[in-house]
Amino acid sequence: METLADLASPIAIGVLLGGLYVVIALGLSLVFGVMKVINVAHGDLVILGSYFAYVMSTSWGLDPILSLVVGIPLFFIMGVFIERFLLHRAFRMSADAALIVAFGISLIIQNGAQLVWTPLSRGLMTSYTLESLKIGDVYLPVVYLVDFAMALVVVLAVHQFLKRTYLGQAITAASQDSETAQLMGINPARVYQIAFGIAMALAAIAGVSLALTFPFTPKSGVPFLIIAFGVIILGGLGSMVGTFIGGMIFGLSQTLGGHFLGPTGQLLVPFVMVLVVLTIRPQGLFGR
Amino acid sequence: MSEEVLLRVSNIDVFYGGAQALWDVSLEVRSGEIVALAGSNGAGKSTLLKTISGVIHPAKGSIEFAGMNITKLNAYDIVAQGISQVPEGRRLFPEMTVFQNLAIGSYNGKARAKREENLTRVYELFPVLKERKDQLAKTLSGGEQQMVAIGRGLMSNPRLILIDEMSLGLSPLIVCDLFRVLHAIRARGITVLLVEQNVWQSLHEADRAYIIETGRIVLSGNALELCEEEEVREAYFGV
Repeated sequence: METLADLASPIAIGVLLGGLYVVIALGLSLVFGVMKVINVAHGDLVILGSYFAYVMSTSWGLDPILSLVVGIPLFFIMGVFIERFLLHRAFRMSADAALIVAFGISLIIQNGAQLVWTPLSRGLMTSYTLESLKIGDVYLPVVYLVDFAMALVVVLAVHQFLKRTYLGQAITAASQDSETAQLMGINPARVYQIAFGIAMALAAIAGVSLALTFPFTPKSGVPFLIIAFGVIILGGLGSMVGTFIGGMIFGLSQTLGGHFLGPTGQLLVPFVMVLVVLTIRPQGLFGR
Repeated sequence: MSEEVLLRVSNIDVFYGGAQALWDVSLEVRSGEIVALAGSNGAGKSTLLKTISGVIHPAKGSIEFAGMNITKLNAYDIVAQGISQVPEGRRLFPEMTVFQNLAIGSYNGKARAKREENLTRVYELFPVLKERKDQLAKTLSGGEQQMVAIGRGLMSNPRLILIDEMSLGLSPLIVCDLFRVLHAIRARGITVLLVEQNVWQSLHEADRAYIIETGRIVLSGNALELCEEEEVREAYFGV
């Protein structure tokens, strides 16, 4: 007999897992919102973030979360350079060209990571990796709580940045009307660089989250890219709240799907929901 | 009236896509003037404004502003020089609030320092915007949107404001109010270059005017005198 108590665990885990998805989806959503380019390399950039945390942890003994102090600025700068020297040139030709360049970046990262770190599965081992908090009858793995906490911090930080700073408002304005943004004195090329830099910094954060939670290989980026797409479609493009709720819904439907239908239902349920949303409300639950 | 030439457009040719849109166009705007650029749909009025504000660049000729050659500057650099454009169709950022739309107008470094001061002035000119400051731009009426667009243009602390088709799609009553505001703006020392399909009204509001037809300036001079010109009366007023 199914009781509410049995559901408590998948619900809690689903919400927390959703946090990880939110952080992954946020960078994808930001780049699409501003540049109107689907960055198909985003999942691989996240995995690059995971390998970065892995190297910092295994070679330097740095805690993965602490390593972000270096990781965030490093990835931001890398993002600015990738946009400036690779994407931007393609972008001037067409949006399709930029998409192809993103594909290229994806392949380079996947194959480069195989060369450097081998195709074997890696994971991060920290003092809290195997710890759990017991709340009532539910055991919550500490890493899931960390994922969720990071998601909250990241969403709030990005939201405040976009809303409260000139640069954030410039990014918002350029994403709504880039020609008019120029008339405000905003240089769109610069906005693109910053937005891509931020998306890469978000990938670094997501990479740490992911590596704390799951084992990963050089090819792990692709499934997470697809999940991030699902999250954005559920929540609606360009909506911060939407991305957050979309992540929660995705995580919840995944764990509940697994609970009721077994392992095969895990990803079936969220993607069926994505299809339903696309059919009934193509702009997403919070999209405009 | 001051005689200093603030904006001088000299003999520009402009191509839009593959086609030539402007032929050998020259015009001057002196400090403190309201100048109208009138002509029918497709005559090249908006193209000329976009060329001045740097969205497109001329193939030939030059544009000087306050003694500086701005022909090759990018749109986003020209704003900081003191030219602000209120684009056709208002082009507000629809998902941003009235306040955010106004604030982003002061993006350039020089204007940021004067943001509060300019904001107070814009709210003085358009008190209704202060009441609606937290409303999303897309939820405003057409007239209110035009007020935000003009206000946003003023937030960049311009010396010259270019206004493209201000009265398009608005009721005559609102248009009258907006023209009153233009005179108030000029009284504050900001020069106005106005583009209008509504030739009759713009000639009555401006000091001087240029009439543009199929990409060429065909007439220019004192605005009220132009009203009396036979050609203008025939072509635009039907009398």
